[in-house]
Amino acid sequence: MPLKTLKTATPKTLTLEWILHVKNYKLNLNKELCVGCQICTLACPKEAIKIEKEPKFQGEKAKVDIDLAKCNFCGICDVLCPFGAIKVTVNGEHILSVVEKESFPQLIREIQVDTSKCPIKCVECEEACPLGLIKIGWMTADGKILEAKPKRKRKGLKVKIDIEKERCPCCRICEFKCPEDAIHVRKFFHGKILIHQEKCPEGCTDCLDVCPITGALYLSEEDKKVHVNEVFCVYCGACKVVCPVEETLELKRTKIIHTPVRSGAWNKALERLASPIEMSKELKAKGSQKVLESVEKRLGWKGA
Amino acid sequence: MAEKKIEAVEPRIGVFICHCGLNIAGVLDIKELVEYAKTLPHVVYVKDNRYTCADPGQEEIRKGIREHKLNRVVVAACSPRMHELTFRRTVSDANLNPFLFEMANIREFSSWCHPSTPKEATEKAKEIIKMAVAKARLLQPLETIEVPVINKALVIGGGIAGMNAALDLAEMGFKVYLLEKGESIGGHMAQLDKTFPTLDCSICIEGPKMVDVGRHPNIEIIAFADLLSVSGFIGNFKVRIRKNPRYIIAENCTGCGECKEVCPIEYPNEWDMNLGVRKAISVPFDQAVPLVYTINKDYCIECYKCVDACGARQAINFEQKPEEIELEVGAIIVATGYDIYLPYDNQLYGYGKYSNVITSLEFERLILAAGPTGGKVVRASDGQKPHSVAFIQCVGSRDTNKYPYCSNFCCMYTLKHVVQLKEKYKDDVEVYVFYMDIRSNFKGFEEFYQRARELGANFIRGRVSRVLEIPETKNLILHAEDMTLGQPIEVEADMVVLATAAIPKKGSEEIARILNLTRGADGFFMESHPKLKPLDAPTDGIFLAGSCQAPKDIPYSVSQGSGAAARAATVLSRPTWKIEPIVSIVDPNKCRNVTAKCGICAERCPYGAIKIEEKKPAQVITAMCHGCGTCVAECPADAITQMHFTDAQIFAQTRAALETNPEDKILAFLCNWCSYAGADLAGTSRFEYPPTIRAIRVMCSGRVDRDFVLEALRLGAGMVLVGACHLPYDCHYISGNWKMKARMDALAPMLQKLGLSPERFRVEYVSAAEGVKFAEIVREMTDQMRTLGKEKIKAENAKLRPILENMLKRKGTS
Repeated sequence: MPLKTLKTATPKTLTLEWILHVKNYKLNLNKELCVGCQICTLACPKEAIKIEKEPKFQGEKAKVDIDLAKCNFCGICDVLCPFGAIKVTVNGEHILSVVEKESFPQLIREIQVDTSKCPIKCVECEEACPLGLIKIGWMTADGKILEAKPKRKRKGLKVKIDIEKERCPCCRICEFKCPEDAIHVRKFFHGKILIHQEKCPEGCTDCLDVCPITGALYLSEEDKKVHVNEVFCVYCGACKVVCPVEETLELKRTKIIHTPVRSGAWNKALERLASPIEMSKELKAKGSQKVLESVEKRLGWKGA
Repeated sequence: MAEKKIEAVEPRIGVFICHCGLNIAGVLDIKELVEYAKTLPHVVYVKDNRYTCADPGQEEIRKGIREHKLNRVVVAACSPRMHELTFRRTVSDANLNPFLFEMANIREFSSWCHPSTPKEATEKAKEIIKMAVAKARLLQPLETIEVPVINKALVIGGGIAGMNAALDLAEMGFKVYLLEKGESIGGHMAQLDKTFPTLDCSICIEGPKMVDVGRHPNIEIIAFADLLSVSGFIGNFKVRIRKNPRYIIAENCTGCGECKEVCPIEYPNEWDMNLGVRKAISVPFDQAVPLVYTINKDYCIECYKCVDACGARQAINFEQKPEEIELEVGAIIVATGYDIYLPYDNQLYGYGKYSNVITSLEFERLILAAGPTGGKVVRASDGQKPHSVAFIQCVGSRDTNKYPYCSNFCCMYTLKHVVQLKEKYKDDVEVYVFYMDIRSNFKGFEEFYQRARELGANFIRGRVSRVLEIPETKNLILHAEDMTLGQPIEVEADMVVLATAAIPKKGSEEIARILNLTRGADGFFMESHPKLKPLDAPTDGIFLAGSCQAPKDIPYSVSQGSGAAARAATVLSRPTWKIEPIVSIVDPNKCRNVTAKCGICAERCPYGAIKIEEKKPAQVITAMCHGCGTCVAECPADAITQMHFTDAQIFAQTRAALETNPEDKILAFLCNWCSYAGADLAGTSRFEYPPTIRAIRVMCSGRVDRDFVLEALRLGAGMVLVGACHLPYDCHYISGNWKMKARMDALAPMLQKLGLSPERFRVEYVSAAEGVKFAEIVREMTDQMRTLGKEKIKAENAKLRPILENMLKRKGTS
């Protein structure tokens, strides 16, 4: 069969495919999960992803387009999407060659849950999660799992917490909401976010509307402007994309927590997602002296 | 120098009249001819011989030159196509420039075609001699041009034909550059599993040959490169080539493949007909030559894992840029091959729509052990082995709506696939072949067909009208007509294989433009002559081999490669190349291009032999000029002269022919290769026709200036005929006949408007085989001339004459 390259769009998904006689590559974008943050757009080594239209009001979704002629199904977008909106599969299996061959790192989503601390009746985390990724269940002594909270007290009943890790941007809301200190979350994007209040137009809530994390941004009663709560911000940058006034919302990623790799593709992604400085810091830490030198030469920092 | 000497001297012409045994003397009155010739101006010596071409006859000529100080020689005998070269050598032996010789064809054009009217034939022969003497008076000595030859060759295309051409030339001791567009040489043959009819493994026999090419000290492979331009001429071509970046330093790459192992990126492998994938750093196939990896930057994510894997070898360079090189070669062999037609546009068979419909080349990659399935024939829809396979022949080929020609090798490779399937899966697979004809000529082919039949394949003669897919099983239903049964049939198959046409290689147009090659209606390159110069391109020093000329199987391509190498060696083995001096020369003082933008000559030259630069006179590249004279006829300023066929010479012939009773004569301008040869054949075949015609030979009908026609009519010719090679492809100068046609198509209505009866000016296409046609044309025109009547012709001429005289004033004729 000759090579078929397909692109199919439904209201909820965008699918790209290479169908070969003996192999099948598929990229699936779940539009429902996409927040329009542009992490993929920045990271894509082939510059194949474009945000065609930014969301303008709460609940509206970004319009994302992926160029079939440019996409090489490498899966870097899949790896980096904080919300797990993109999935690349080969022959139906979600095994990414860039990860397998250590050409690209994986984000480390460090989430520790100590269910032994959980009171049986507590569902705080489940209710707090802005993306609805936490599911609480109960396990009886004989290993049966109950989905609904048991009406009466049973002996040996244990709380079981399932978190959809692939989709978790690690905002730490659950950690803060947990009354028993049973959850510990470490962010994978670290950075800084700042709204210059003097420039921020009164009454505009564009950034707040698109922010996927409830509580990371809030409207102040006092000045009717949006303020930041850095504790919960995941530094995805969706807010920065939509802000109508230039240089009002400043967002910088300083560090990305990932599995260790030596890869030019990662260096470039890091340079674009964070900054050349952050990238060179990481190179220094890894001791990649030669790469560092060539990067510094390219950026004109040294000996150009 | 010689020219000046001759001009200063009064012409002393010797006429030698041949009896040709009784061939001439049996009809013509030789004595009368001798006496007549003596009366012609500047003729100082006349001699008749029994056989002028025999040694004693030739000695008579040499003696005449010596004893009578002849400086021009006319031999009245047979056709110049027969013995012009013989007598040129004869006069040359007597220290006379060979171009100071002219022939009067009184055998084919008189004695042989007018045997029953000897008196009229003799009169005609006199005029033929008179015309030759008139031309001889104006002949100029010409020196053969010699150009040095660079004894290196360029072979374009590294398929089996190009490889063989390169190897043969290299073995002869010539340096060969083998240019290949792809990453590796090998061509289509390297894609194949087995070869018919012997079932040898293709790469097993080609692989060693590829290695030989790669290792040969005289061969330099330039792969992954494009041809940019070619200038110059035979023996002296300048070739510009762009080497595309592989992002690998070829000298450092050991071909170990460690980079490929660590590369995370895959993309569809075109080499595998996109059935499988290859890495972003890889070779298209394991046996590639040169064994140098290539990074495809369209897919590479630049993780540099390959750089780490390559390590100390340091063969990878992401900064590599395209590099342009220039080569100088003496000969070029074009072996650019073919492409396989992918029938996406054919709605009938569902290619591209149904997963289990594939082309034969895709099937080839499936059944090949080194292919993407490891030699398992499996369906794309479910990965299962098919239990029934239907082959459809002539998809695109022999189809008047697509490619009307037969693609030559499809019947045989389908038979091969049938045999392979049957031998591999035995009774586990049912095979159907839908065919129009099985073409199994050549050695061992018919026996192979028999073998396929004996293995139990079903051969169904008939066209498949439609293929439909069963959505649940993805099996295919073929609707066809079984011509043997004479009724429609339906066959269900798990897989359908289409034997699609071989089509001109993508980029052929570009190659044709760069090398000034011509392409036939089918898009394949045209050879110089379909029978006698099948390996020569129309441009000297350029040769064709393999499927770029038309689809060919392996042995045929190999033979052509060797043949083209031998042809190229005829050039490369000489220190210099001689060029006939019958070329065009531009008078820079007359050329319009100096003051205005003209360039008509360059545009009309079939060989691209004329260079035009702004504000400079046109420049003929002598070594590229073939001497057709088309530019001479086209030049609006009469600034170009064709040596040995000058306007003055042709005008002199015309005047000699029409001096007496012009109204009774047909004046003909015949091209040397077809129409003159056709007239010769009419004589040789003794087809009798009225002795009314007086013929002037030109090399190509493209040389026939409209002024020639006007002059003939001005002088009162009864009829005018222009004879040319047949359209569209017979012209020996590619397209001179087309240029003549355009010119005459414009002239004819103008003449009619001025009052010329339309039948009095005629253009005819006569091949060298059409003696009958030529005789018929002369008969017909003579009848027409007589029907019109002398009086009417004279009256028309009287009316035309002042207008024509005015038109020809610039020629200084009247």
